[in-house]
Amino acid sequence: MTQTQITWITGSVVEEEVHMSIVEISRATRAPEDLIMSWVSEGVLSPAGSSPEDWRFSGESLKRAKTAAHLTHDLELNTPGVALALDLLDEISRLRNQILREKII
Amino acid sequence: MKFRDYYETLGVARGATEAEIKAAYRKLARKYHPDVNKEAGAEEQFKEVGEAYAVLKDTEKRAAYDRMGANWKNGQDFTPPPNWNEGFEYSDSNFGGGYEGDQSEFFESLFGRGRHTQGGRGGNPRQGMNFKGQDHHAKILIDLADAYNGAQRTIALHMPTQDANGHVSTQERKLDVSIPKGIKAGQNLRLAGQGGPGMGSGGAGDLYLEIDFHPNPIYRVDGKDVYLDLPLAPWEAALGTTVNIPTPAGSTLELKIPAGTATGRKMRLKEKGIPSKEAGDLYVVPNIVLPGAETDAQKEAYQALEKAFDFKPRNHLKG
Repeated sequence: MTQTQITWITGSVVEEEVHMSIVEISRATRAPEDLIMSWVSEGVLSPAGSSPEDWRFSGESLKRAKTAAHLTHDLELNTPGVALALDLLDEISRLRNQILREKII
Repeated sequence: MKFRDYYETLGVARGATEAEIKAAYRKLARKYHPDVNKEAGAEEQFKEVGEAYAVLKDTEKRAAYDRMGANWKNGQDFTPPPNWNEGFEYSDSNFGGGYEGDQSEFFESLFGRGRHTQGGRGGNPRQGMNFKGQDHHAKILIDLADAYNGAQRTIALHMPTQDANGHVSTQERKLDVSIPKGIKAGQNLRLAGQGGPGMGSGGAGDLYLEIDFHPNPIYRVDGKDVYLDLPLAPWEAALGTTVNIPTPAGSTLELKIPAGTATGRKMRLKEKGIPSKEAGDLYVVPNIVLPGAETDAQKEAYQALEKAFDFKPRNHLKG
């Protein structure tokens, strides 16, 4: 009897184990680096480090950056618009979770 | 193949101006944007609206589309007339952005597939260039138990792939993936080198899998915390009891319900939520349910309750 050996691919959990450079964020979101810099200056993303070459984005930034990239592309929002939309989406998600915690079937 | 009435999709008249089409598109795109609208079906609507706009905003495509006449109805069976687009030239560019490969059969039969630019920067790479392949993104659904225990899953992804002649087709790709214990909804799993192929010595891009949980009839999940509604009979809540509750990990816990438990007063089971460095908690939310009084004995039992208590639940209403 032969046994088939499956190699299971192991990934890393971006939000917990990964820090990303501006190049990696740019590649993952397909957003140009100057756009990512404008998000940082607007406070949409808050990397550690003092200059763009040293920036280290936490894994949580990836999701925010992805949403920012979608909104910019699909709705042609400018940077302050993206920042406002993300803040409002955060607020909606906070309220949704509050409802979920208190929900009684 | 079904005909798609792009004017109807956007809710504009056939004679609508460019400005009207743009305004209608923007309004619908904001409404159905999958990052904004979490309702089921929103993403589908968003794609339809995007497809309609991709045709109607483009003077050449719109003219070609209009030439098929105004008598077609949404959903009608449709075959493109031969040479219908003769003499039209398209400057096909990045349709759909991050949602490529989503055009309808109808769109593809008329306008072909959107061209996928390698590397995300457009332009045709010249021979001999080295660059890293594109990063790919996909969403996968797992069971809550997988986050508790870790799991190995074979997932099927539909990936647009391009052959040597530039033809794009959607291919199913199976991946055997280890789901790490402790992963939470909304988190991304990065699989290095599983994205698009690179050029030269560039190496493949990465694949990001965004995790979400299958809806669960028993548990609600908020980050690493998990909530379980626990129905209790009035006497159980009043007198206290011990109940067995199932955990998402598959085990059973014995839980002591103290006397005088009220609906909604959460009980926290420390570190029984999704495990991780700082494990989440499992909250049990008591919900007191009333049995109906149907038989005479049951009615008498309620009447006995009434006699036993001097209970005025509406005192504060002064009614």
